Amino acid sequence: MDGLYAGSFAYALGAHKRHVRESAGAGLLRSAPEDLESAGFRWHHLCGPDETAYDLARAAVAEIAERGELGHIDAIVYATCLPAEWPHANGPIRDVKDLMDFPAGRLQAEFGLSRAIVVGLHQQACTGMLGALRLAGALLSTEPQWRRVLCVTADRFPAGAFYEQAYNLISDGAAACVVGRDRAPCRLLTVHQISNGGLARAGDDETVGTYFAYTHRLVREAAARVGTAPSALDWVVTQNTHEKAWQILARLLEIDHDRVWSPSLPDAGHVISADVIVNLSALLASGKLQSGQRVALVMAGFGLNWQAAVLEVAQP
Amino acid sequence: MTTLITGAGGYLGRRIAAALHDEDVILAMRGADKRERPGAQEVIPIDLCEENPFAELDPRRITRIIHAAAVIRFDVDRDTARRVNVAGTARVREFAERCERLERFVLLSTLYSAGRRQGDVREVRHDDAGFVNHYEWSKWAAEECVLEPPGLPVTVVRLPTVISEDDGTVGQYNAFHHTIRLYYSGLLTLLPGDPATPLSLATAGFTVDAVTALLDAEPGIYQACSGPVSLGTAVDTAFSVFERDADFMRRMLPRPVPCDQASFHDMVSAARALRGGPLQPALASVAPFAEQLYLSKSFRTERLRAAWPGYRTADPVALVESVCAHLVERRFNAAR
Repeated sequence: MDGLYAGSFAYALGAHKRHVRESAGAGLLRSAPEDLESAGFRWHHLCGPDETAYDLARAAVAEIAERGELGHIDAIVYATCLPAEWPHANGPIRDVKDLMDFPAGRLQAEFGLSRAIVVGLHQQACTGMLGALRLAGALLSTEPQWRRVLCVTADRFPAGAFYEQAYNLISDGAAACVVGRDRAPCRLLTVHQISNGGLARAGDDETVGTYFAYTHRLVREAAARVGTAPSALDWVVTQNTHEKAWQILARLLEIDHDRVWSPSLPDAGHVISADVIVNLSALLASGKLQSGQRVALVMAGFGLNWQAAVLEVAQP
Repeated sequence: MTTLITGAGGYLGRRIAAALHDEDVILAMRGADKRERPGAQEVIPIDLCEENPFAELDPRRITRIIHAAAVIRFDVDRDTARRVNVAGTARVREFAERCERLERFVLLSTLYSAGRRQGDVREVRHDDAGFVNHYEWSKWAAEECVLEPPGLPVTVVRLPTVISEDDGTVGQYNAFHHTIRLYYSGLLTLLPGDPATPLSLATAGFTVDAVTALLDAEPGIYQACSGPVSLGTAVDTAFSVFERDADFMRRMLPRPVPCDQASFHDMVSAARALRGGPLQPALASVAPFAEQLYLSKSFRTERLRAAWPGYRTADPVALVESVCAHLVERRFNAAR
């Protein structure tokens, strides 16, 4: 991924912010609220009845557009965790065109990205945003004329669903960024993925049980891809999960836990595939980064999938 | 010669009774009917938590006592451990003191009465080195109870972790089997403990043979330990068995990552909030002995080997392999 940068990070969360106890009272959780609070969760964001995942994606991309950073997009890689929001049919679907209302195309049209091609990515669950970065890098490598790829992820849980997966409090949300050849806040050094389809139907407990060994391996291998060791990473930006999880992993990987960054855990919970961007945005805004520092973004998701990207700070 | 066996309905008690089938034996069992067994072994109901459990037994008959009754769960609470393992042993001692023909009072203890001590563990009375769980403490306290004050012909046999019958089948699940199941099912991918820590695992046959051989040995403390296997080797052996299983291989589960004690403690602590699924109770079952896996011990057996001419070491790797193969074949469903 020589000469590629990632920047223009943006995100959007569901419009309704609820406390975990309120959601428990509404029957939206499996765990007791005090158990989720003991894990570090407090608030989460839910879409209103008429708010769609596409609305969230549009809001995130609109923020990039408002900054004037959405020009010359050659491709859109649009990652989702959940299946597309199909129209509610009153009976059997007779014309399957109704199932092909693809959000990436709508985004392209809505923002006038006429030169962009669209790519959907939807089998990497909560790791999809990092998969989008990888695909963007691959596309730019095979298309020498292209300069910029818009990466988007957006999901909302369907009405009536539990807002909890694998003991994590869920928020509806979207995130977006641009991977390109122009200098941006971060150089994209590598993206590494592990999949285990043998655990495709893993339950919550197997997902938690396997999390540690796989994430340990993922971070070691991702660091090795850029010629370093986990302990030499300057920052690890994680998805929002039980706060003990990374206390454990930091010890196992010999990473200073003070360099593990997930400040949005209490305020946003696990934003499906977007929280790593929410947290990275906070790190970029914190003033803590220095040029040349290496930042690992780490995510795990159903499938089961684990992905890590390693960035180098170019413009703190 | 009449031998009283407490806990004769338990896993080891039954096997010791069977080994003494041609002797005059009284089987003391909790909740047993007072009746003669077909094999001429007399059965009496005994609850060691009652005030005077041996009221109906004539002490003049008894020449040997094998005290096998105990709660042997690592997660036993302090009060239960005290009531059954400590106070219960005190009641057996009180009875033993009234047995004027008593030749031997054998207490079945555990190697882990050593508690938190590390390094060489000799066949001597232990002082209080601290304990990882209430079970260890209660077995140490039971040893103290029979050894102090001195005067009785006491033999303490510190037993290993029994994981199988001699044929590799599993007669009773314990912490070893539950932990192996966690790894097979993918519920645990961290390895608590130092991979170099020796484990003392044995068959029921070895253990019963040790106890019966020591009935006629000089009173004293003996550590019934066959060849140890390191924690890392035991886990590697288990995975080598798992990896021959098509179902396991399809799930492509990783071998566990050794973790430090604080990390394992954090995981167990966090798991307390993961209610409703299998992970929380499973980790809760491992946690009470996990700390012991960081405390490397080497149990000395000079006294045992001198007193037991038939002592033999078994291949511990082969033992773990056969047990794991049995567990996988049975899909961990039930003990034999």
